[in-house]
Amino acid sequence: MVSFAGLERSTLDGLVRPGHYGRAGATGLLIEERRDLAFASVTAKRGKRFALVNAVNTAFGVALPDGPRRATRGSVTFAGTGPDQWIASADGSEAAGFANKVRARIGPFAAVSDQSDARLVLRLSGPRVCDVLAKGVPVDLHAQAFKPGDIACTVVSYINTQIDMLDDAPTYQLAAPRSMAGSFWSWLTASAAEFGYDVIAP
Amino acid sequence: MNAPHRLAQGGLIDRARPLSFVFDGQAYAGCAGDTLASALMANGVKLVGRSFKYHRPRGILTAGSDEPNALVELRTGPRREPNTRVTTVELYDGLVAASQNRWPSLAFDIGAVNDWLSRFLVAGFYYKTFMCPAKFWEMLYEPLIRRAAGLGRAAGAGDPDHYEKAFAHCDVLVIGGGPAGLMAALAAGRAGARVILADEDFRLGGRLLAERYEIDGKPGTEWVAEIEAELASLPDVRIMPRTTVTSVFDHGQYGAVERVNDHLPVPPEHEPRQRGWKIVAKRAVLAAGALERSIAFGNNDRPGVMLAGAVRAYANRYAAAPGRRVAVFTNNDDGWRTAADAHAAGIEVAAVIDSRAEPPAQFAALGIEVLTGAQVSHVHGGQGVRGIDVVDARGRLTKIDCDVLAVSGGWNPAVHLTCHLGGKPVWSDNLAAFTPGATPPGMHVAGAANGALTLAECLHAGVAAGAMAAVECGFPIASFMMPSAEDEASGVTALWHVEESRAKAFVDFQNDVTVEDIALANREGFSSVEHLKRYTTLGMATDQGKAANVTGLAILADVSGRAIAEVGTTTYRPPYVPVSFGAMTGHHRSRDFRPVRLAPSHQWAEEQGAVFVEAGAWLRAQYYPRDGEKDWLETVNREVTATRASVGVCDVSTLGKIEIEGADAAIFLDRVYTNTFSSLPVGKSRYGLMLREDGFVMDDGTTSRLAPERFVMTTTTAQAGRVMQHLEFCHQVLWPELDVQMVSVSEQWAQFSIAGPRSRAVLRKLVDERYDLSDKAFPHLAAKEVAVGSVTARLFRLSFSGEMAYELAVPARYGDAAIRAIMAAGEEFSMIPYGTEALGTMRIEKGHVAGNEINGQLTARDLGLGRMMSSRKDYVGRVMAQRPALLEPDRPVLVGFRPADRKARLRAGAHFIPLGATVTAANDEGHMTSVAFSPMLGHWIGLGVLKRGPQRIGERVRAYDPVRNGDVEVEICSPVFFDPEGARLYG
Repeated sequence: MVSFAGLERSTLDGLVRPGHYGRAGATGLLIEERRDLAFASVTAKRGKRFALVNAVNTAFGVALPDGPRRATRGSVTFAGTGPDQWIASADGSEAAGFANKVRARIGPFAAVSDQSDARLVLRLSGPRVCDVLAKGVPVDLHAQAFKPGDIACTVVSYINTQIDMLDDAPTYQLAAPRSMAGSFWSWLTASAAEFGYDVIAP
Repeated sequence: MNAPHRLAQGGLIDRARPLSFVFDGQAYAGCAGDTLASALMANGVKLVGRSFKYHRPRGILTAGSDEPNALVELRTGPRREPNTRVTTVELYDGLVAASQNRWPSLAFDIGAVNDWLSRFLVAGFYYKTFMCPAKFWEMLYEPLIRRAAGLGRAAGAGDPDHYEKAFAHCDVLVIGGGPAGLMAALAAGRAGARVILADEDFRLGGRLLAERYEIDGKPGTEWVAEIEAELASLPDVRIMPRTTVTSVFDHGQYGAVERVNDHLPVPPEHEPRQRGWKIVAKRAVLAAGALERSIAFGNNDRPGVMLAGAVRAYANRYAAAPGRRVAVFTNNDDGWRTAADAHAAGIEVAAVIDSRAEPPAQFAALGIEVLTGAQVSHVHGGQGVRGIDVVDARGRLTKIDCDVLAVSGGWNPAVHLTCHLGGKPVWSDNLAAFTPGATPPGMHVAGAANGALTLAECLHAGVAAGAMAAVECGFPIASFMMPSAEDEASGVTALWHVEESRAKAFVDFQNDVTVEDIALANREGFSSVEHLKRYTTLGMATDQGKAANVTGLAILADVSGRAIAEVGTTTYRPPYVPVSFGAMTGHHRSRDFRPVRLAPSHQWAEEQGAVFVEAGAWLRAQYYPRDGEKDWLETVNREVTATRASVGVCDVSTLGKIEIEGADAAIFLDRVYTNTFSSLPVGKSRYGLMLREDGFVMDDGTTSRLAPERFVMTTTTAQAGRVMQHLEFCHQVLWPELDVQMVSVSEQWAQFSIAGPRSRAVLRKLVDERYDLSDKAFPHLAAKEVAVGSVTARLFRLSFSGEMAYELAVPARYGDAAIRAIMAAGEEFSMIPYGTEALGTMRIEKGHVAGNEINGQLTARDLGLGRMMSSRKDYVGRVMAQRPALLEPDRPVLVGFRPADRKARLRAGAHFIPLGATVTAANDEGHMTSVAFSPMLGHWIGLGVLKRGPQRIGERVRAYDPVRNGDVEVEICSPVFFDPEGARLYG
């Protein structure tokens, strides 16, 4: 019988190695791929929004955000991606079978689909992170306009991208469709090269 | 190398940093802070280019981006940039430039014969002369004209540099870093607003760099440095030099180009050459200044005839003397400053010719010869000014020797950006110029751009506009000590054209448009300003008539007996200056032209030597050639044969996958598909057909019921996005009352089609043994979650090939592992991977329709799928599909075709003509949509739509293909060529 254990692949495998790239002697950007996150799309059923808010609160201790914000409790995060739509994510022990767990707990009130394999997820930080992102993110990331916990679903380099601000270091998390990982990486690294960037081992 | 025309002192150049450069093969020296124009001028180079049409010798007219004449090819090899204005090129060490549009040399240009023939080459010459015969236009006339009239040569090789796009956001965008712009930025910045100050120049200051003004008792440049230092100290003020705001778009969006590294021979490693910015601003202050204009008189285009303000710029900013002896011709007070500044710089001033009777009083003390009420009628000299003829009010002619003539016909406010959203500028008699009319929402105009032509006015207007913009963004008014400056004389009396001139008097230097061309256009009926532009080319090309347009339409007003306000302006469109394709394209060129989507098995397929084909954004394996196979057809035949004989696998992850959930999910599907899905049992799949609202087929695919209220739909690769959009529209707009939720899961799953008689045997080795895969337990169209090792997978028994086949979906991270495991499991059955070509061949053999048939122009009935249109329910497109024309019996319907001579090749796109009929559109009976060579049948087969096709089976028609000279007699047959009973699906 086949086993796929240990055979998981990221689309960046074979494309990317940890190390320093671009301008020598400067690190304007740190790039870390997150492979340990599980995702599930959550869409409220008709007329069940309030029940869903209660159920999420009860099950995960998270106040479901109303708008493009993310709310985290422990290792579980809910991010508002549209009217009555969220992307839930989890890492650590919660990640295994996450979509099934979410469905089991809030299924009566929401449609839930596993999206754990649908996205390339990168965590970006470093002194020039905003200058890099300005080359593709059309959203205003100024401290007054985009704060920790804010998210945006936007288009970066013609690629649908969700950008989350994690903290005011600042650290951003970008999620792009898995199939476009190569094109996304090409844009990101071309944009970061003038500042120098480090790829951190996942 | 000593620059002979470099002034001994002064200027904003760094004499300690000499730079060397080459123009037309000759080495010269310049200084840091020079432009190519000022460095050429300091070296006494007057002849810089040849004009577009007449090949007349031309020099430098301006000191800015409005330059019409001095265009060169900058750099060499793949970095060569034609039509580069020397006035905007920042000098760097090792710069190489060459003149253009001349042969064999700049000084001796054969093309100048056009100037002698110019009485024939008037406006509209091409239209009048190259009329007949019309077919000669493309073959002969256009190539000839293009060779004779031209600008520079493109590099002809890919640009080796990288370009970027970028976004910026601010409260207040200040466009222009002159006195008004600096004040506006400071007023807004001090108030706390987020400010972007964009300036075209490499140094802030605008006209302050070119003038000898004082502000607060300090030299203008010193004052600029102080303001710049304060702006730089403000946390939310961003200064963007070398950045031209080129365009205004809706909702406060501005396009700009930053020339990041144009001032270096080659961009530093990892850095872009240019950045195209989109700046989103709540408010903008346009402080773009004003552009000086010339006056039309005989030979006013000779090298050495320059705008008066440009002469000051070269003398004051660049310490470059345009000549030894300068004469000034002006209709306004500002021109006099040139005489004063030249005098102060030690350049001999031959005379000031003022067309007005009363010159300004304050210049009387200079002791310069003054001719009032006089006009320059003619310029002597060929490749450089040698002297001028002046006619005074009584008609007396005086000849004056000079080598430079500084001309000022007044200043045109740079209203361009105020017009990009449709605003029309307003004529001001007082200024003899157009000033901004209605501005784009959120834009204030300050300083010279608004017709405030004195320094004191500019400073005040800048403060007011900057403060107002900040207040409108919710910031308080900051306290401000207004800088003090003089309100210098700025009177003007319009003069467009010197009537006494006999030689050609140019209006548009770049397009060689003369006063006479405008008069001729008017005589021939092209009296609308837009017609005038098209007929004469006035105001076209790289400078867009910045120095020419107002003069041109003033002359049109004159010759047509109208007021200037009545004539109006042509439409100002973005961009304000030429923009490189690189800045517009950014990173998106070559393989980054658009995002590429790779299937989960892509790397594995590459290892197998697959040839890939673009399918929308996806790259799909087209076929997998093996050593010794002579062409793609041999490979595809092998893939088809092996699959039908045993088993093959194909990556179908690219198909769109949409999960549809909710209590009303089945009702929703019934409404979007022509056939019924509410009756589909859990654990089953069904083929579905979707129409557009207009009744034509939009897409097809299978939908499987995973649970009573949970479905997964597949779409074609090409239409995945469109179907998702359609479903969301249907839900949100048509039936918001339905409890249905949908989400794309296309990226989540890697999906493989495993087809062939041994497909079950392969799957048996992969799927956990607790799942019964027998035909009875898991029949055709079954769908189920299964375990493959520890992974939860989805298994569908679906066939596109006509074989017993399965689709196995695993989470995408296991896609690579899955294809390797599938191939390993299939090894004992000689399993092969197949690509989209074999997929296509097998579906054509089975008569299944695909993208070639579902092309947006065919209905379900046309495709022979009329039976799928339920009559027991309503669905999108049902009513419109019943329109009489769509039910017309003569409409072409899908059938199969095979060549009467079985050795003949068929071509998709061929049209069907009855045997013996002439090949005319009237006899066209349909066309071939898909063809393939069927290895199972040993000959070419085709699908196509034919008038009354199903009733004509057994008849023959011609498949006529004029594009590829194909003319084949074909037999009409059933579209199902292989296994018509469908027995192979079951096993």
